[in-house]
Amino acid sequence: MNRSRWEVFTRRQPALFALVLLVLAVAINLIVQPHMFARETLNSNMRVFLPLILLAVGQAIVILAGGIDISVGGIASIVNTVLATRVGLEGSPAEMWRYVFISLIIGLLAGAINGFFIAFLRLQPIITTYATSFLYAGLALFILPNPGGGIPGNIAAFYRNSTPLHLPLAFYVIAVVLLIWSYLRSTRYGNFLYAVGGRAQAAYETAVPVTWVQFGTYLISGLMAAFAGLAITMLSGSGNADIGAPMTLNSITAVVIGGNALSGGVGGVAGPVMGAITLGVIQNIISFANIDTWWETLVRAVIIVVALAAPGIVNLFRRRQP
Amino acid sequence: MGESLSARNIVKHYGGVVALSDGNLEVRAREVVALIGANGSGKSTMSKVINGVVVLDGGQLLLDGNPIHFPSPQAAKNAGIATVFQELSLIPQMTVAENIWLTREPLNSFGQVDRKAVKRRTEELLGLFEGTYKTALHPDASIASLPPDEKQIIEILKAISFNPWLVILDEATASLDSRQVQRLFDLVAKWKEQGKAIVFVSHRMEEIFRIADKYVVLRNGRTVGAGNIQDINEKQLIKLMIEKESVLGFLRGGAKSEEKIEKEVALEVENLTNDGLRGVSFKVHKGELVGIGGLRGQGQRHLLHSLFGDILYSGIVKLFNQEVRFKHPRDAMRRGFALVPGDRAKEGLLYIRSILDNLLLPSWRRFGFPLKVSNARTEATQVGSHLNLKMAGLDEPVSSLSGGNAQKVVIGKWLMRDPQVLLLDDPTKGVDVGTKAEFYALLTRLSSQDGKTILLYSSDDEELIGLCDRVLVMHDGMIHTELSGNTLTKENLIGASLGASQGDRE
Repeated sequence: MNRSRWEVFTRRQPALFALVLLVLAVAINLIVQPHMFARETLNSNMRVFLPLILLAVGQAIVILAGGIDISVGGIASIVNTVLATRVGLEGSPAEMWRYVFISLIIGLLAGAINGFFIAFLRLQPIITTYATSFLYAGLALFILPNPGGGIPGNIAAFYRNSTPLHLPLAFYVIAVVLLIWSYLRSTRYGNFLYAVGGRAQAAYETAVPVTWVQFGTYLISGLMAAFAGLAITMLSGSGNADIGAPMTLNSITAVVIGGNALSGGVGGVAGPVMGAITLGVIQNIISFANIDTWWETLVRAVIIVVALAAPGIVNLFRRRQP
Repeated sequence: MGESLSARNIVKHYGGVVALSDGNLEVRAREVVALIGANGSGKSTMSKVINGVVVLDGGQLLLDGNPIHFPSPQAAKNAGIATVFQELSLIPQMTVAENIWLTREPLNSFGQVDRKAVKRRTEELLGLFEGTYKTALHPDASIASLPPDEKQIIEILKAISFNPWLVILDEATASLDSRQVQRLFDLVAKWKEQGKAIVFVSHRMEEIFRIADKYVVLRNGRTVGAGNIQDINEKQLIKLMIEKESVLGFLRGGAKSEEKIEKEVALEVENLTNDGLRGVSFKVHKGELVGIGGLRGQGQRHLLHSLFGDILYSGIVKLFNQEVRFKHPRDAMRRGFALVPGDRAKEGLLYIRSILDNLLLPSWRRFGFPLKVSNARTEATQVGSHLNLKMAGLDEPVSSLSGGNAQKVVIGKWLMRDPQVLLLDDPTKGVDVGTKAEFYALLTRLSSQDGKTILLYSSDDEELIGLCDRVLVMHDGMIHTELSGNTLTKENLIGASLGASQGDRE
């Protein structure tokens, strides 16, 4: 009785731990940075967090269906370098729109390459996307060997300073993403994601189009990586082929502390969004608390380890009971 | 709605193994066909061919007389064929309702799953088995939290939820209790009236005679008999399933079993119970070779692993009249137990390591610190020659050996510890005939000369009959029958495996 109640609870509320962690992180942040909720501070924080949030959403969907995508950073880098070299600092808004559109196509294409290898050729997701991550990072370096280029300053400024109804632009983006997810979750495809991630063989025997579901998740992840590349370009205003690489592992971390099982089939998208914000807030705390940057790595590592171990530790104690 | 489906001369290979060489089956609307056969006769493959899970290598499927090809389960489903899988096709992380309606969720005009409709229809379906549930089963319960019988019911409801004309019930009654079986059979009768066809794959003779109209018997991948169930009885059916007496290359010592009784009891098991066992009790004397029989997956693996301390259990195990309670295989090894596991690739060997490393694995302590490499080598060489192990050298990887020789390494690694009790889980599976004969000689020598106590599970019935003094036949996690001496015949063994000929089961 007790056991099943616990299991049902953790299955229904996988994001609970992420929420607790987020509240805790925000509380600590409030101590070191009392004006955290002031409009400007909030906006500047959120626009820094947004690229990782978008990556985490795509990653969450891939992981839900039992895969993993470690090429997302590379895709974001390509988008960044394309925008920075093709639009340029003097580009017109029309140019910008055209390349935003092209960027999204690039993201979908990169996702399709991953998806083709993994879903149709049945290669290992981690190996495949590890290999393609070099492909994409290499392509980004080819497009822009040295940091430089950029997008028009007024477009970047619009992204940075827009606060409709006194709320950061990022809030609206998150809201739209979560709305789309909650729609997707309620469709058949949403059910298929959980089925394929839960037990692919059983899903296949039930006539779920497993191959297409998996392929679809990499398309989504590629698209979200392109959006992340777009957001990061608007934030920095310039191009750098290495900009996406460190974000890949962070996106996986965000998904894990967001309560999704790395083995697939458990979790959602709200948890990983909270996970990504938590990671951002932790970074914020560390920079405000005047701690050496290498502590940040250590603190983050401790949090990841605790997040991964917490359910296992709980189970360990439960098993001890007769 | 379909009227008939027939499978003609079906051939299916898995790699080099032939699962079906000439499978034939015919089923029409308004009839129940029982698909019967011993272990490995191709029953499961046959049902997987009909429902499109495997693609056939030869032969033909005819739907209402027209050739049809099922490249995927989806295709078979579209043709109105539903399957209740033996290894359930449920997704543990999802709820009852989500599982039942997966791929056929009712949608609203926005393309969203209509949760209310799903819930209502799930409740209707759950009503079919109303009153037989042990838990308060509701549409939002997660599958992982259900007991095995309720999972099985959900699997059945899932199969019939899209109103198929043909339902394949593959061992659907194995985990149901008698009330639930009765309810299922009532439903089957109703489906027949509605014009559905049912293929009933079962090991339980009594159930076959209760609901089947026709029978199809498979043996070694071939259909060897078919007809009306009224025209046949249990005995004839069992005879059909058995091959003509083949000559075995070894003989059992005739009077051996009588004198064994005098010896002391080595292993005594009382009321062993856990997930896979329901109160198993027996005694084995010192130097006795006792077989465990029965169909695959009736608790044999659980029994051997429980005795080896690998699976926890309740009940009493006594070794030479002294109670032991193993919590870890380490404890069992200390008391002289050895287990030759069923899956040698996964549980028995480290394939990429050398033969020497594998042989030393359970006894590394003896050669441990400081390393006594030359001692280890000498002993390993002795065991190797004792077993007639054909190898290029002790330092070659195990992956270079044939199946039979690899299995010799598994046995050899335990012989190096000089065990008192040997537990063997189907050791001759996938082993060539010559090596099998060597094993038989080895096992006989170990028990009768060296006085080892041996518990042998085998899926090969002839092996049990030829080799063992006594055979405990397991069914449904219990010891159904004990056969020895004159009662140890193939007919009795197969009959008991199917749970037949004795009315002691509900």
